[in-house]
Amino acid sequence: MPHRPKLPTGSHLTVAAARFHRRDLLRAALACTAGAVIGFKVSPVRGQAKKFAGVNISGAAFQSTYHEYLKSYLPEFEAETGVKVDFQQQAFPVYNQRMDLELSTKGSAYDFCNLTFIYSGRWVGANWFTPLNDFVKDANKTPTDWDAEDFVAGTTQHLKNAKGEIFAFPWEAGGMLMAAARGDLIEKAGLKMPTTFDELMKVCEAVNNKEGVSAYVADRLHHWNWIPFLMGFGGKVFRNPPEDLFPAFDTPEAANAAEYYARLITEMSPPGVMSFTDDQAMRAQMSGRSNIRTQAITWITPLVAHQESKVAKTARYALMPAGPAGNYPGSNSHGLGIPAGAKNKDAAWAFISWAVSKKTIERIVKEKGYGAVCRRSVITSDYFTKSLTLNGDSVAPLFLQVLELGGKTGYMKYRTVPVFPQVGDKINKAMERIASKQQGAREALKQAQEEAIADLKKAGIPL
Amino acid sequence: MPTIGLPAGRVAPVTKPGPQRHRFYWHMLIPSLAVLIAVTLAPTVFLLATSLTPLDLTRPATIGDFTHPARNYWLLLEDRRFLNSLWVQARLSFWTVGLQLLIGFGFALLLNMRSSLLQALRTVFLIPMVLPPIVVAIIWKVIYTPDISPLHWAIQSLGWRMPALITDANWALTAIIIADTWEWFPFTMLMILAALQMMPEEQIDAARVDGASAWQLTWYVTLPYLKGVLLVAGLFRLVDSIKAFPLIYILTDGGPGSLTEVTNYYAFIQAFNFSFLGYSSAITVVLVGFTVILSWLILRLVGWGRDVE
Repeated sequence: MPHRPKLPTGSHLTVAAARFHRRDLLRAALACTAGAVIGFKVSPVRGQAKKFAGVNISGAAFQSTYHEYLKSYLPEFEAETGVKVDFQQQAFPVYNQRMDLELSTKGSAYDFCNLTFIYSGRWVGANWFTPLNDFVKDANKTPTDWDAEDFVAGTTQHLKNAKGEIFAFPWEAGGMLMAAARGDLIEKAGLKMPTTFDELMKVCEAVNNKEGVSAYVADRLHHWNWIPFLMGFGGKVFRNPPEDLFPAFDTPEAANAAEYYARLITEMSPPGVMSFTDDQAMRAQMSGRSNIRTQAITWITPLVAHQESKVAKTARYALMPAGPAGNYPGSNSHGLGIPAGAKNKDAAWAFISWAVSKKTIERIVKEKGYGAVCRRSVITSDYFTKSLTLNGDSVAPLFLQVLELGGKTGYMKYRTVPVFPQVGDKINKAMERIASKQQGAREALKQAQEEAIADLKKAGIPL
Repeated sequence: MPTIGLPAGRVAPVTKPGPQRHRFYWHMLIPSLAVLIAVTLAPTVFLLATSLTPLDLTRPATIGDFTHPARNYWLLLEDRRFLNSLWVQARLSFWTVGLQLLIGFGFALLLNMRSSLLQALRTVFLIPMVLPPIVVAIIWKVIYTPDISPLHWAIQSLGWRMPALITDANWALTAIIIADTWEWFPFTMLMILAALQMMPEEQIDAARVDGASAWQLTWYVTLPYLKGVLLVAGLFRLVDSIKAFPLIYILTDGGPGSLTEVTNYYAFIQAFNFSFLGYSSAITVVLVGFTVILSWLILRLVGWGRDVE
């Protein structure tokens, strides 16, 4: 082996190190050929590592534990791609208000952002997001094994337009289940987890205020919590969304559902429940002050999984109870997409495809115990099933069942129409008026219906 | 004081500026006027113009649609929630301004006494006013939320029951009034206290010599002296009460139902929750109109703008 000259130091180092020997070139070529022959597959995307060196992107979403977990992995993504990510998070209503305004201007302040479920019809319909189909198809931008079809159909339905273009990929799926923080109280009363509305009320009557625990608790988002009861009693929000958006909640079925729900939140819930946020309702359950809640999986798995929970050994899980007209548990999903006015769309896609890749989701599930995921391969995996077996209740299949229900029959379409924020507000107000005894159910819903029709006309919706 | 260059008692005659000087004055005024127009007038004109359109952020074509300019205003007349918001606003303003003036006056009289303890307490009373409004709202949210409230714990420990004030139809607006009064009575107190400390002692002494009681002193001497300050403080608080937002946003979200939904909160919902910017602008124009008229009436009462004889 010939003597290799020692590399000089100091300012000569760079120049000397850059000298390229013919033998080095031959060695590298040989190594590449050998690698190709023995089957090292170099991903087109990985081959472009550091492609985005020096690129800064900004993104925004509402606060979520998923994003906190993502942020803890961000340094790895940044080291791999060279992108610097500024990921801002705001409270749910604040984020939606700000982003609604930002998107409407087609501004370039954000390169990626959350596409919120209830705003999806409005934001997608107004072409405020970039279609992602071309990014997915391009092997230079997306690994071939990324698998866009792996997302459960019910979680992507509202993220597409009529042409089938997709504008975001979901990072969180909310599947409404029922959790009893003090399942032991229900068992002591000789009852089981309720499966129908009648049974739910009977259980609540039997356990309410036993050991100082209220039977039920809810947060103040009534236009999410009440709708499964409305549909379970045979009512609807709109006649036939998204084609016919005539409001349909001034009906006897809706009044029955409203009276039932109002009883749950006034007689069976703790005082002041009407002002409870999601977090307050969860804390009420975790501290053992309240028992049953019907809510998305994100808010009920902490009863067992959270270290501060006092009900970890007594929590029980089941499907949302069914009404006389069937079972309609709420389901939704929020996605990450690219605003139409974004400047760094390729880098933004690199971030999104990493953030909702199977690998990242698997990691968050395994390392952080996160449960509200959207990829079928993850939901049906052994480790997910194991991690979502809570006090002996296998929650993963229930969760998948809820997501699929929404996708199959499309009963959640009411929530993704562009005017839902207006109509949802009327439902919220009506529920508050009923629960605070300002109006009876029929009167409150009649007023809500009239106000909703006025707003739909204002929005230019033909009725 | 005699004018320089003139004999004592003689005043220089006022002469009208010539055309050149007149132009000079205008040139000096132009920068200030330009800033004033850019900062105040242009947004107001834009607001007014927007209120004449059905501007909806989800329908960009509505931005310059002036085909039915009065439509938003006609819709307002039929909008029960808007009319209710005006009534809620009137009640909220009446009670908060009234209570703040009353409590501020009481505390100012108290703190005007010569006592070292009261002097030290002055700063403590100012704390609510200097806290950021959102912090004040969170403090009251804690106080009003039964499961975490020290107030509810104290009342329950005495064996009494208390409704959740912010979700109770009979108490929600009162809960906002209490919190707003707590936050802003120090402002009126401060203004009245400053006026009291400027009050000539001779008036009080003369009334005392005439045998006036403490009540008569307050009613016939102190209150008439403070009339101007009370009206100005009331005006400030009235205008501010029309802008009430953080307390309502955090505590009640306008509810239960629309019981605490004031007009500016309703305008906010229309603009930022529903994207109806045109309609929201019409609400704001009406609100601005009311505020200007009220302010004008109060200023007439105070006497500002009249020639001083």
